[in-house]
Amino acid sequence: MSGDLKSLTTLSEQLADAVAAAGAALVAVHARPRLPSTGIHWRDGVVVTTEGTVRRDDDITVTLPNGKRIPATLAGRDRGTDLAVLRIAPGSLPVASLGDPGTLRPGHLVLALARLDDGGPRAAFGAVSATGGKWRSWKGGEIDRWLQSDLDIYPGFGGGPLVDTSGLVHGVNSGGLSRPLATTIPVATVNRVLTQLLERGYVARGWIGAAMQPVRFDLAARRQLNLEGGLLLLSLEPDTPAAKAGLLLGDVIVAIDGKKLEGFDQLLDLLGGEVVGKTVRLDLVRGGRPQTADLVIGERPRRP
Amino acid sequence: MSVAFLSTAADLLRASVVQIIEGGRGSGGAGFAWGRPDLFVTSAHVVSRKRVTVVTPDRRTVSGAVIRRDTDRDLAIVHAAGAGDELPVARPGDPNTMRPGSLVVAVGHPFGMVDAVSAGVFQAVGPLPRGLGLNGKGSLPWVQADVRLAPGNSGGPLADAEGRVIGVAAMVVSGLALAVPVEDVELLFSGLV
Repeated sequence: MSGDLKSLTTLSEQLADAVAAAGAALVAVHARPRLPSTGIHWRDGVVVTTEGTVRRDDDITVTLPNGKRIPATLAGRDRGTDLAVLRIAPGSLPVASLGDPGTLRPGHLVLALARLDDGGPRAAFGAVSATGGKWRSWKGGEIDRWLQSDLDIYPGFGGGPLVDTSGLVHGVNSGGLSRPLATTIPVATVNRVLTQLLERGYVARGWIGAAMQPVRFDLAARRQLNLEGGLLLLSLEPDTPAAKAGLLLGDVIVAIDGKKLEGFDQLLDLLGGEVVGKTVRLDLVRGGRPQTADLVIGERPRRP
Repeated sequence: MSVAFLSTAADLLRASVVQIIEGGRGSGGAGFAWGRPDLFVTSAHVVSRKRVTVVTPDRRTVSGAVIRRDTDRDLAIVHAAGAGDELPVARPGDPNTMRPGSLVVAVGHPFGMVDAVSAGVFQAVGPLPRGLGLNGKGSLPWVQADVRLAPGNSGGPLADAEGRVIGVAAMVVSGLALAVPVEDVELLFSGLV
C-alpha cells in the first residue's frame, strides 16, 4: 500500500475508534413522536440532551448501546441554553469522557455523533469553523463559548456530542440555537446548567421587576454628572425587587456595583449569572441628582 | 500525524468511473467498470432507454447498451464493447465490516463537474432509521453516509479509504447520502462475470 493510502486508512481507523469510544456513552432518547434524539451519559445516572427534542415530560425512555430500552425521568429543562437533563438507573452504560473545548481551534477535525434506535452510533464528519467567547442565545441563555462547526446535524443528531479525533466530548450539538449553523453547547455550560437542573429542576435567572429604556443625557447633564446616560425606569410593579429597593419611575440607573451602565447588555449579563439573592449597589440619577440604592436581585417568575 | 491525502484513493477510483449520457445531451450520471472492462454499473434512474453514450476516463465517447435494469433496487448494467480492455475494474469492498466514522469517498459528476471527489464518513448499512420515510423503500438495506452527493453523482461509486467500492450512489434523504450496497451489484451481475 502506498504511503498516502496508509495514512488515509490510519486516519479512517482513528475516526472510527473515536466514534466507538464516545458512542459507548450515547443513548437514543424517546421523548417525541417518530424519530428519537440523542442523549449523552454525562454523569452516572444522568443523561443530557437538547431541550427542543424533549416534547413530553412523562413516558420517556432511552435505548442503551446494547439495544435495551429503559425508563428515564425528566430532571429539568432549560429553554435558554436548549438543554434537558434526564435521570436513568446508575451503572447502565459508561460515562462520557469530557474534553476541554478551549483547546479546539478553527480547522480541527471533529465528529458529530448520534444514536438512533437501530444499533451502532452514527457519525458526521467536519471541521471546527469558528470559536469565540461568551454569547447569549436568542432564547436568552448564556453560553460560555462560541463553538461552531461545518457538521451536518442530521435528523436524530440533536442532543448528540461534538467529539474530537481522540473521542473526547466537547459539548452538546444543537440544531435549534442558531439554525442553520451547527452550534455546540460547550462542556462548561452543560455542567453549570446540569447542576441547577438536578438541584431544582430549572435554571434560576435574576430579576429586577422593572421596565427600562436606555437614555442619553442632554449636554448640560452630561457635563454636570460626567455621565453619558443610563437606563430609565418606565414601569415598576409593587413587591418587585426594584420596588423594594425604593426605586421610582423616572430614575435613571447609571451604574451597578460601581460599573458604568451604558445599555442592556451589562444588565442582562448580570442577571444571567447565579445572582438570585445577591445585593447590588445601584448608582441612580433622580431629579438630576446622583443617589444610590441597594437592590436584592430576585428570581425571575417562571411561566406556569 | 502525517498528512493524509485522499488523492491516491480517489485516483484509483476515478480510473474506473465513466459518464453515462442518454440521447447525447447533458452530463448524465455516473457509472463504473465492474468485473469486466466493458461492463458498467449505474443507477436504473440514469438510464431510461436501451442505448446510451459512455464517456471513458480518457474522454473517449463510445456507445453502450443497457443489458440489465432493476428499478426496485435502482441498478442497471451497461455494456460498451468499445470502452477498451485497459479500463481497470473497480475493486469491491464490504460495507458490513465498516465501522461508523470510517472515511468514505464518492466519485461522480455533480452538476456536470466531471469526476468530482467528495469525502465524508460511513454511518450505517441497513434499513433507514424509523421516521425517515422513503416511500416504502426505507426498509431495504442502504449504505448510509455523511457525504455530499448531488445530481450527477447517481450511479457513481461510494468507496472506503482504500478506494474499494461499498455501494452505488443513489439518492439523498434528509441530507443523508444513500448508496445501494455492493452485494446487490454482485447479485445483478450473476452469470455475467
